[in-house]
Amino acid sequence: MTLSALCAKASAGERLSPEEGLDLLAHAELLDLAGAANEIRFRKNPEPRVTFHVDTNPNYTNVCTVDCIFCAFYRHPGEEGAYTHSVDAMIGKFRESAAKGVTTILLQGGVNPALPFAYYVELVERTVREVPGVTPHFFSTSEILGMARVAGLTVPEVLRRLWDAGLRTIPGGGAEILSDRVKKKISHLKGSSDDWLGVMREAHRMGYRTTATMMYGHLETDSEIITHLDRVRDLQDEYRGFTAFIPWSFKPGNTPLEKIIPHYATPVRYLKMIAIARIYLDNFPHIQASWFSEGKKTGQIALHFGADDFGGTLQEENVHAAARFVNKTSTEECIEMIHDAGFPAAQRNTVYDILRTYEVPSAAA
Amino acid sequence: MQIRDRNLMPVWEKIQSGERLTLEDGLRAYTSGDLIGLGAMAHAVQKEKSGDAVYFVLNQKIEPTNVCVLACKFCDFAARKGDPHAYEMTVGEILGKLTPEIREVHITGGMPPDWPWERYLEIVRSVHDRLPEADIKAFTAVEIDFFHKKFRMPVEEVLRQLQSAGLRTMPGGGAEVFSERVRRLLFNQKIGAKTWLDIHRTAHRLGIPTNSTLLYGHIETLEERLIHMIRLREVQDETGGFLTFIPLAFQPGETGIKPAHRFTSAADDLRTIALSRLMLDNIPHIKAYWVMLTEEVASVALNFGADDMDGTVGGEKIAHDAGAVSPMTLAKERIIGLIRDAGKIPVERDAYYNPLHVHQERVVGKIPYLNSVPFYARLEKRDFRILPVVPRRMGMLCALGEIDAGPFSLMDFLRQEDDMELMGWCIATRDQVKSVMLFSKEGWRDLDGRTIGITDDTATSVHLLSVLLEKKYGVHARFERLHQGVNSYDGLDAVLLIGDEALRRNKHGLDGFELVYDLAREWYEWQKLPFVFAVWALRRSLPSAVKEELSGLVKGSLESVGGDFVSVAGPHGRRIGLTDEETQEYLSGFNYSLGEREREAIEVFRRLVPAAASGAHASPPEREGR
Repeated sequence: MTLSALCAKASAGERLSPEEGLDLLAHAELLDLAGAANEIRFRKNPEPRVTFHVDTNPNYTNVCTVDCIFCAFYRHPGEEGAYTHSVDAMIGKFRESAAKGVTTILLQGGVNPALPFAYYVELVERTVREVPGVTPHFFSTSEILGMARVAGLTVPEVLRRLWDAGLRTIPGGGAEILSDRVKKKISHLKGSSDDWLGVMREAHRMGYRTTATMMYGHLETDSEIITHLDRVRDLQDEYRGFTAFIPWSFKPGNTPLEKIIPHYATPVRYLKMIAIARIYLDNFPHIQASWFSEGKKTGQIALHFGADDFGGTLQEENVHAAARFVNKTSTEECIEMIHDAGFPAAQRNTVYDILRTYEVPSAAA
Repeated sequence: MQIRDRNLMPVWEKIQSGERLTLEDGLRAYTSGDLIGLGAMAHAVQKEKSGDAVYFVLNQKIEPTNVCVLACKFCDFAARKGDPHAYEMTVGEILGKLTPEIREVHITGGMPPDWPWERYLEIVRSVHDRLPEADIKAFTAVEIDFFHKKFRMPVEEVLRQLQSAGLRTMPGGGAEVFSERVRRLLFNQKIGAKTWLDIHRTAHRLGIPTNSTLLYGHIETLEERLIHMIRLREVQDETGGFLTFIPLAFQPGETGIKPAHRFTSAADDLRTIALSRLMLDNIPHIKAYWVMLTEEVASVALNFGADDMDGTVGGEKIAHDAGAVSPMTLAKERIIGLIRDAGKIPVERDAYYNPLHVHQERVVGKIPYLNSVPFYARLEKRDFRILPVVPRRMGMLCALGEIDAGPFSLMDFLRQEDDMELMGWCIATRDQVKSVMLFSKEGWRDLDGRTIGITDDTATSVHLLSVLLEKKYGVHARFERLHQGVNSYDGLDAVLLIGDEALRRNKHGLDGFELVYDLAREWYEWQKLPFVFAVWALRRSLPSAVKEELSGLVKGSLESVGGDFVSVAGPHGRRIGLTDEETQEYLSGFNYSLGEREREAIEVFRRLVPAAASGAHASPPEREGR
């Protein structure tokens, strides 16, 4: 098929085969991808508004035994700088955040085998009970697999107990690239693609809402990116449990992988990821652009490439910061960035219900 | 291409029909929320002009002093003599900054009260002596005006002296916004629009091409930005001397000016790039100056109308003193990576935008004239990239191994025949061509001993002219090479023009040159054969699958065009002043397939040109400046 015919097919919202997706990603002009992605975005979400939420990304521990070579955050047990916070300390932190208007707490750790399962259950229970107004968005798939190992439970059992404690949403981190060839090279202890998909499938079956992520810009090929999108799309067909897809680029600072991949992926690459995700993931309601992980200007431009969500304000963040990649914003600036990009802004909660809208002031339009 | 905003459609229709945009069209496009539609329109125009090429230059910025008699509100760079951060570089210090790989030295700075004129000339002369291969781009119109007043010399004299010291081009700074309202508020000590434009006009007349800029993102209105572009466009119509336009995003820093926002938004930056490409239909290049736009936005801008990323910019200070956040130098490898990722060809250039190195595989040359449009019009490429380049440069790049295929000027093909393989297409005439023309004051036989100005763009036409003069008419003339852009034809008895310029002149005539000869017709009447100006060829060493793929693409394009040239080449024709009927007639006059008669014509021509000129082993021509 010619590229223009492929773009027309994509714009019309027809499902693309992996071969077609790969042809588009590898060969289409940037703005042809953007045009198709935008067309789909406005058909799916006709309101021009761009959503964001007020959130924070604290960590309860940086102790981790998974040894991913793209990570600058973790410490081994007993290593200098290793920490694990008590549940009390975390609840205190959450309270402070809630007082500042935070509605989503995205909590992740390392994978710390010294923590008992009860620690996690207590974290959820007490957050729900003691910090009203915030949604716990806790624990990546690796941590959930770690809990299952520590507690001698199955993944569904772990998920069930966390659900009973009050957890309803799970972050989509840790997917990296759903290709076992890549995973073996960058995170050989983290588990396979099927592990990530398996935890997500169980969670969706149980009623959890989750996001899906992709970390690109290291060792993956175009074809592996399409495989990643394809596997995520297949799972979404089963339970429609994913709220949004969030790509971000590998940040090399302070990581072992820095020696092989010294540079950030380019902004154009990011915009292609956003657009191809919007085009390929025909069953995803939202595509999230990240001012935080790619820079404010790139994040703004991505809103014209098919993204309809601007992520969170990220009051606290430690993982990118450990890789010397720091961006900060406030709720006001976040709204202003969305307005400057030419869209009305809307604050949402963790599961994309709209809380408040902010029209573009006429001067900035 | 997706244009979601219906308001953009009338603008797009105008662009497609080769019509110029008005202020109202500009405002309509500027205020559209459809950033992607706007960008796609600008990108279409960019591709028409530059194909897939994005240029960059290995450049060094030299700011000899920050001591300045002006005090512009938006500048954090200037110092007063005696200030603790004031500096004045010696010639030795300046030369110490130069490294051998530099191809463009950009010299601008403050305007100190006490430097003698000779010091400026010495700087230019010394840099030129140290790096004769590098082009010197020096002194904004503001500085030229300062020299003119301080040293009591006419602007023309200032420029002439700098030119003979080694200055090649002028930067475009100091234009700010052509609005008296803004000038009074922000930079009332600087020259206004009229002086800036007059100085650039003078430079163009002297054969010094220049750049142009717009400083936006402070207190100016969108209308003021567009009027600025329109005024540049008018001067360009007169002189053709602007190489590039550079929208400069204002860097607020500690300058004391409070713009609406601290930095321009990414959307505003991209819109401004797109509008620049759309409004300035007669300026060849639009530069995304990463120092001010940030690397993020500049790399995206390469799909929004910009075809130049500036360069490695060693030593930039002015924007950084005002808080620009980009890294001080962008390494060559990083620039190449950014350009490739944008789907473009990284082309290293000199100050005149002559391509020096092409950092990409599978590059196909394109002759940027109307007669080549049908080859590329429906060429649906995936891995190939297109580089528009005048025929002579295409031959040089091929000899250097920098491009793989294209329609080569016949002479260039004959020189490189051992390495190249014919592809079965050509640009051959049936009887006349209308775009390889000799405009003359004298008849053929009276040109003996006279001087003919020849275009720099092709070797084949020059050799054809030579063969006609010597072998058909038995006369000898002297050739003088014209330079790119605007030329004075004073002192010439005839002028050889090719391509779109010849087509335009053929229609409207060239003042003072009453006799007009079509070289293909002259050839035909003599030899009763077509003339083959160019042949499609590709490098023998390419893998056969690549050869087949490319052949299929060109074939597919020609077949899908059929004989309907207006549908694909109409806009190009209109832009150079041809009606659709004229375009159809002109293109119907070519034979694009290389048949027996064309091959015979090549052999006849080969026997007529001197062996040295067509020798298969002739070394590639050396790089030439002016």
